[in-house]
Amino acid sequence: MPYWYYDKKDLQNTPSFRDGISNENENRYRKEGARFIIDTGSKMDLGYNTVATGVVYFHRFYMFHSFRTFPRYITACCCLFLAGKVEETPKKCKDIIKVARSLLTDQKFSTFGEDPKEEVMTLERILLQTIKFDLQVEHPYGYLLKYAKCLKGDKTKLQKMVQMAWTFVNDSLCTTLCLQWEPEVIAVALMFLAGKLSKFEVVDWNGRIPKHNAWWDMFVEDITMELLEDICHQVLDLYSMQAQPSGGDSPPIPSTTKPPKNEKKPPSGTPPTSVSPVAPVVNKTATPVKNGAGMGVGMGMEPRPELPRAGAGAGAEARFPLYGAPPGAYCAPPPRLPPPPRLPPPPRLPLPLVYSEPPPSYPPVLVPPVPPPPYYPPRPYYPPP
Amino acid sequence: MQGVTAPREQAPPVISTSSTILNMREKEKYIEDFDFPFCDESSKYEKVAKIGQGTFGEVFKARARNSSKKFVAMKKVLMDNEKEGFPITALREIKILQLLKHENVVNLIEICRTKATLHNKYRSTFYLVFDFCEHDLAGLLSNVNVKFSLGEIKKVMQQLLNGLYYIHSNKILHRDMKAANVLITKNGILKLADFGLARAFSVAKSGQANKYTNRVVTLWYRPPELLLGDRNYGPPVDMWGAGCIMAEMWTRSPIMQGPTEQQQLILISQLCGSCTPDVWPGVENLDLYNKMELPKGQKRKVKERLKHYVKDPYGCDLLDKLLQLDPAKRYDADTALNHDFFWTDPMPCDLASMLAQHTQSMFEYLAPPRRPGHLRHHHHVAGAQPKPVPQDSTYQDRVF
Ligand SMILES: Nc1ncnc2c1ncn2[C@@H]1O[C@H](COP(=O)(O)OP(=O)(O)OP(=O)(O)O)[C@@H](O)[C@H]1O
Ligand SMILES: [Mg+2]
Repeated sequence: MPYWYYDKKDLQNTPSFRDGISNENENRYRKEGARFIIDTGSKMDLGYNTVATGVVYFHRFYMFHSFRTFPRYITACCCLFLAGKVEETPKKCKDIIKVARSLLTDQKFSTFGEDPKEEVMTLERILLQTIKFDLQVEHPYGYLLKYAKCLKGDKTKLQKMVQMAWTFVNDSLCTTLCLQWEPEVIAVALMFLAGKLSKFEVVDWNGRIPKHNAWWDMFVEDITMELLEDICHQVLDLYSMQAQPSGGDSPPIPSTTKPPKNEKKPPSGTPPTSVSPVAPVVNKTATPVKNGAGMGVGMGMEPRPELPRAGAGAGAEARFPLYGAPPGAYCAPPPRLPPPPRLPPPPRLPLPLVYSEPPPSYPPVLVPPVPPPPYYPPRPYYPPP
Repeated sequence: MQGVTAPREQAPPVISTSSTILNMREKEKYIEDFDFPFCDESSKYEKVAKIGQGTFGEVFKARARNSSKKFVAMKKVLMDNEKEGFPITALREIKILQLLKHENVVNLIEICRTKATLHNKYRSTFYLVFDFCEHDLAGLLSNVNVKFSLGEIKKVMQQLLNGLYYIHSNKILHRDMKAANVLITKNGILKLADFGLARAFSVAKSGQANKYTNRVVTLWYRPPELLLGDRNYGPPVDMWGAGCIMAEMWTRSPIMQGPTEQQQLILISQLCGSCTPDVWPGVENLDLYNKMELPKGQKRKVKERLKHYVKDPYGCDLLDKLLQLDPAKRYDADTALNHDFFWTDPMPCDLASMLAQHTQSMFEYLAPPRRPGHLRHHHHVAGAQPKPVPQDSTYQDRVF
């Protein structure tokens, strides 16, 4: 089986990057593609497992191909289509396309070509070859529940913490974490984060032995604090990034007619998440968690539409404000923004801050009341215990 | 994540088509030229002979063009009439074969593709590539010159049960046990093959029954619970098939060859006795219990009828335990492996020396029909369907 984990350097030197797409834009395309899979999947009542599998295929696919060769939304559809079959929750291709169409602007949908279904069929073969038919993908969800079972403490708080961690896992799909770390590690990190934010102090756990310093030592060896914090920050960065205006849609939108900028509707300026019906990122802007120390990290920041993130303006893409502007305002080309001020890099340490407000209370995207057991045993195991 | 500056930044969104996504032609070229690092071209193998024909595609014997000259079996993934892309059945087979790695399960080496070209409308054909096995059990049993001693029969059954024990431990049901799907190498190693109908199963929790399709298993090997419409079945369906195959080791042809589901049920009752709540508690709750004609007052005659073929009393007893009507009473693989049959003289003995007397591959596909008008049943097709006869039915592939 191929090895699907990359270090940060590999994640910067991707086919898209070599094709002239900045890392920033690539990450945005990945985020939009992932979010689109989540939204499409949720709208079709596909389970979290199917959705997550589709997203992992999507991220792996773009480690071999450029976003310029394969526009993201049709790839996303194809990944969801394949994941549905692999996870035994098949959906008809034409139904996925129908939902996709309802979620996308005409402009974005135009990348599906003249015969969207045929396009998806051709793309599916490319996808299968690209991911080496490595179809079975594991996700952090199962580990989350397994770990939670061992933790001792107030049941209600634990429940709340797990819910929050679950939401973080959902959101982590929009990052490249699944290309960096095994699902076990992601589960530990995001549970750690949820524990901090929900103030659920894990003091004891079943199966504890003296050499364990933290509960996760029981499950994964050699997890450092630096690693945990790095993972948490990658997820937290999502919440601060959304305050940043969405960039243009180049390259994946062909514009055979008018440039998008001059069109009545602003396809390229529409926040990609605003059309999604199920827990889109925008809903989370006002995440009530505040960073007590007042540092600009991640959660709890007010939207700052006028302030692109550091490095965001590296490209010459025009930027549209996310909120606040009346629809008509889009008719005119947006004012060119001055070069963004270089923001100090987001503080990385320390994570364990005192949060002054309660943890997010928005409904988790895809939390089932009682998740079913994993479909497959994790690994062939012979003979059985 | 902070990005480093790309070597060639994108133009602003005022752009022409050429600088955005690739156009159709460029994309086709890209696909044609892309060297998928993980999926080799099927041209690395050279087809030698066709050895099987199934609903999902043909199977070929082929040889590696590289220095190893290794033989493989290539199973083509048939996609021509697929409305929903790559068939879910093939995806299942691949997923399951990737999970299962065991001496008694056929080994999937890789999946190959043909090059995407204008000629195939940029759609590759895919092949599942397996380690080549010289024979299948149906081919061997149909050849009267192949004679199994009792120890050799024990070895075949022991390996078959070992394979089933392994796959069931991994929560996989085979669902298509039959002699043609049991492969044997020239060294006498048995491999379960054809996971085209296999699926993962979960142990049903109280109140929530599984709903699997019961349109599985070639009719002649189909257990009574499936014929009665059970949708919450499990490993015992494969154990029934194992029993049918075991009997066939002596009878040399399938023991119950019903032409219809109804007929099959009658044949089963004539051998194993009537399906009543007495011998099979709960049978009355199965969907088709009242819809099928169930012979009444039939006595169980498994041992009585099979003892003429199976002289070994332990063998008869194990058959009796595998051909239990009630799936709950049917032996599982583990229990069967502990049966005295395998632990009394003659002990299981190696097949290699017996097979060494035969220098030709024996496959069901290549075997001449057993009798004129003989129909081979296939589970995918409603009713009986003859398998296509090979163009050259006298062709026997040379192995050595
Ligand atoms: N690895 C192999 N080595 C030698 N022969 C093989 C191998 N795999 C398959 N065969 C031959 O090809 C035949 C058909 O293969 P298989 O049973 O996998 O496909 P199928 O019957 O077409 O599938 P299905 O029953 O799901 O339609 C087998 O009965 C066997 O004779
Ligand atoms: Mg077969």
